Amino acid sequence: MKKSLLSILLGFCIAVGKLFAQDILPKDSTEWMNFLHIQNQVPGLGYQLTFSPSLDSLRAKNLNLNLSKTDSGWVSDIREDFGIFSQLQQDSLDFQLTYFIFSSQNTEEAVREYISNLMRNGDFDPVTEKVKPKEDLVAMAVKSPYSPVFGNRYTFTADLKLFVVTVIIGFFFMVALLMILVMLFLKARKNRREILRKEYDQMIVDPLTTLLFEKELDELSNMKIAEYDPYFPQSYLSKPLYQDVLIHRIIGLNKKMKGEFKEKLKTIYHQLGLDQVSAAKIKQSKWHIIAEGLVEINEMDLVETLREVKKLSDSSNFHVRSLAVSALLNLSEKSDLSFLRDQTYPLSDWQQMNYLRIIKFVSAQKQLKIEMLFESKNMSIRIFGIKLVRMLGRVDLLERLAEMATLASNEEKIEILQTYEEIGAHMEVDFINQCLKSEDLDVVKQAIETSKSLGNEASVELLSGLLENLEDFSLRLLILKSIHELDKTKFDELTLNRGNSTFVEIRNHILDPKLIYV
Amino acid sequence: MYSFLFYLILEVVGWMFLILSFMVIFIYLVMMILSSLEMRDYLRKNQFADYGDIITSPIAPGVSILAPAYNEGQTIVQNVKSLLSLHYGKFEVIVINDGSKDDTLEKLIQSFELEKSDFAYHAEIESKPIRGVYKSTNMSYRRLIVIDKENGGKADALNAGINAAHLEILACIDVDCILSSDSISRMVRPFMEETNKKVIAVGGVIGIANNCDVQDGTVTTYRVPETTLGRFQVIEYFRAFLMGRMAWARVNGLMLISGAFGFFRTDIVRKVGGYFPKTVGEDMELVVRMRRYMCEENIPYKVGYVPDPLCWTEVPESKDVLARQRNRWMRGTIETLQLHRKIKLNRKYGILGTVSYPFWSLFEKNAPIIEILGLIYTSILIFVGDFSAIYFIALLLMMYLLSLLVSSFSVLYEQIAFNHYKDKKDLRKLIWMILTEPLWMHPMVVWWGLKGHWDFIKGKGGWGSMIRKGFKTAEDRKNLSTQSIS
Amino acid sequence: MKKILIIEDDLLISSLVQFRLKKDGYETYLVKDGNEGIKAIDTLSPDLIITDVMMPFRSGIEIIHHAKKSLPQTPIIVLSSLGEEEQVVLEAFNLGVADFVPKPFNPNELAIRVKRALS
Repeated sequence: MKKSLLSILLGFCIAVGKLFAQDILPKDSTEWMNFLHIQNQVPGLGYQLTFSPSLDSLRAKNLNLNLSKTDSGWVSDIREDFGIFSQLQQDSLDFQLTYFIFSSQNTEEAVREYISNLMRNGDFDPVTEKVKPKEDLVAMAVKSPYSPVFGNRYTFTADLKLFVVTVIIGFFFMVALLMILVMLFLKARKNRREILRKEYDQMIVDPLTTLLFEKELDELSNMKIAEYDPYFPQSYLSKPLYQDVLIHRIIGLNKKMKGEFKEKLKTIYHQLGLDQVSAAKIKQSKWHIIAEGLVEINEMDLVETLREVKKLSDSSNFHVRSLAVSALLNLSEKSDLSFLRDQTYPLSDWQQMNYLRIIKFVSAQKQLKIEMLFESKNMSIRIFGIKLVRMLGRVDLLERLAEMATLASNEEKIEILQTYEEIGAHMEVDFINQCLKSEDLDVVKQAIETSKSLGNEASVELLSGLLENLEDFSLRLLILKSIHELDKTKFDELTLNRGNSTFVEIRNHILDPKLIYV
Repeated sequence: MYSFLFYLILEVVGWMFLILSFMVIFIYLVMMILSSLEMRDYLRKNQFADYGDIITSPIAPGVSILAPAYNEGQTIVQNVKSLLSLHYGKFEVIVINDGSKDDTLEKLIQSFELEKSDFAYHAEIESKPIRGVYKSTNMSYRRLIVIDKENGGKADALNAGINAAHLEILACIDVDCILSSDSISRMVRPFMEETNKKVIAVGGVIGIANNCDVQDGTVTTYRVPETTLGRFQVIEYFRAFLMGRMAWARVNGLMLISGAFGFFRTDIVRKVGGYFPKTVGEDMELVVRMRRYMCEENIPYKVGYVPDPLCWTEVPESKDVLARQRNRWMRGTIETLQLHRKIKLNRKYGILGTVSYPFWSLFEKNAPIIEILGLIYTSILIFVGDFSAIYFIALLLMMYLLSLLVSSFSVLYEQIAFNHYKDKKDLRKLIWMILTEPLWMHPMVVWWGLKGHWDFIKGKGGWGSMIRKGFKTAEDRKNLSTQSIS
Repeated sequence: MKKILIIEDDLLISSLVQFRLKKDGYETYLVKDGNEGIKAIDTLSPDLIITDVMMPFRSGIEIIHHAKKSLPQTPIIVLSSLGEEEQVVLEAFNLGVADFVPKPFNPNELAIRVKRALS
């Protein structure tokens, strides 16, 4: 493909070259003569001059052309220099030309062909006439109309390479300049903010400390905004950066304080109107600002915004969604978890971790309706629900789990098994044994694990069966661990005197006290 | 006829170089933009993250840290101690003594009260024979497992470690790295965050610890290295880790995770058959193979990246060592690309096949060759007396300016995001480096890269035919290792 | 007047504690990182030290080590957001600190503990 393309290209160029070469050769005869004259010599091209017989012999001799008289007239030798044409033209002599290419006679047409061939191959470079201006250059310049733009553009774009290089360089400099300017601007702004932040920080520390220690809670809630002025001047409070620093400070302190101080901080937050600032943030369009607002709402218990927050709990932005649910879990009065149940997005481990922390904290005060999550259409939510039963130790929900266990998907089964294991649900051993017979290897694996602590004689039988059928090393290790726990004699029977080195290795591994944690 | 062809070729090559330089400029500008977007999002995201939670949460995944050691007797005890003191709930530290000739193993046994155990080691992934698995009798070292094996190189040692690992995530590190105490919790986060894609690997930034103060596993005071070679690498690391990889992470096109600090999902690593010990670029090869596997299995996946400064290492400040390192990197790149050339421009492999692969083969693998050709080309033009030589000199100048721009962008970027080098003097040194580096350091790097090419052609590493043939699918590697076991 | 050294990187927390302790008539000194803390222990020889365990430059453990060596009689109160079961906190107890106050905390409660530690 490449080759053929290249040859087409080459052929095209040669064709162009040919056209080009023939174009340079003049068509009309005086021009042609002129052309030959300027060349003076063309390799391999000779000619003979023939003058009419009427030329008198004295003149013929004077021409110094070594002419000899024949029937058709005076004929010269075969010559190669066309230089003498000018002299002949001056003398206005009439003559005829006979061409020789490498000493064989040829027509003018053939000569043209020959010269263009030479030119194409690069064996001959025609000299072009250097016409000396007949008039003064300045005078000529005056006559031609002045059109700088058009003329320049023409030569400029004509040289495409130069054009492209300039475009690249121009583009580069533009973008580079822009980028550096933006970066410098960002850095300067950041530095300025840092300095201001420090300044504001210093301004806030003292008033906040005095307020917290010198005023009682009800005093604080009865203070008018004007009375706060000596502590936090109104002129500063309207500045976004100052607001930001203050919010940050109060929230930071709130996290680290206990008892009445927490209440006081919340009162100050309200009295200064910062709750409005936080509430406004969650109506913004940028996700990071919404997220900031949600964090503030969560920390400062701004329950009045919960209706708005609930709308965000199924947002398409991961962070907004997670923080909104966190705030709802934390602040919602009701033990209703419908907002979590109705989530359409799958729950990531990260979210589960955050929710779990809050739920653990909240469930000390109120009994959450975790069973609602089992009804969710979203499998990741159902799985989270099962995990919660385990992590909160909700023994009361085991029955519900048993109900849904038979119809559950494999992933849910794994979680249910794990939950049984950790809570110690001995009554569910039939389900565990059923899972040992499952088609899904992951379910079987978890069932083996769970049977270690909850299995019965039937489980040992099933496990022994599995041991014979499964080749996988890590599964065998797992099975033997469980059997070891459930039935020591069966374990010895399976691992000793079987001539199977793998089983002996596993046996030793299980019996090594150093490897309990592995 | 001859001269015509000659000029035609000059012309065509000239256009090629023009297009190429335009591409280089364009790509770097795009990368700058992508990386800043990614960094902005990351910093914003970080505001709302509570990393303290991961340490104790039962939902957080377990991490097996794999640290291969070869002749590390001097420092091994201290290094393992700091690994054991990382802030994380569920993790184990697997140190693999790769047949050290010094007293690495003896020191470990002595300091951590180790005893040979009856660990049932199963070579699911092939590796050199295991001499023993050691565990401590002391409860405080319960997280530590030491594997003693015959020497087989880093990848081989890691494979042995993978066989012994129990937890969901593998952290492959160089044992002499300095790890910040919260490094695991930060690196684990991307694995936990994704909802509808599987995160198969997460890469991290490597910082340069030369000449810095280190306390409790964290660099407390940053100073630029004393030598120019060291300083050059500071700039280079900024460019690579803050700009390059950040941009690739944005489009999920990351192809390389540094072997010194990378996290992987254990089940996927096992499924693809672990590291490939026959290449010098085993870290890159593994990532490519894992990605390829996910594409072939049609599972949506992601390779994550964490730009926080969490891991530091001493970089070589001697020319010979650096030359050898670069030579090896180049060979690793060539070998990986060669092995996986099936994915080149293959739509099935998404970004990996259509963008990352071509980029790596053009700008990483072949860059030194292209640069040398460009130089030769320009000299020919000058020699022939062609006027367009001047454009190419202008282009060379442009490339110099581009390098200035990219480097200064990375430094400024670091300043905005982390601001580590606080001393003005240090900054000035870095700026001086940016200005001079393209003139004397860059040619050396190009030269080392070319040598890498040459060594690859000569078949250094001695495993020629396999790489030249390539795997047909990612599964082949897996089959390869199981075949040789049975 | 008893001298109390407070080593804490959060300015607001430390100034709150300082404010509260001043009310009880103690002389208080604030430093914001481990390095300064160690220096202050040597130069001030305070009667009581309140320190965080997680701080820039030097860990609280190092400070406790240092204080126990140079001023073995001085009681130390650890103030930290880490849980009581954390490794570091246990280590601190092993080194013989007088008391441990987990964050979130109440400054009034801290003041009582200070009084008890000094009596």
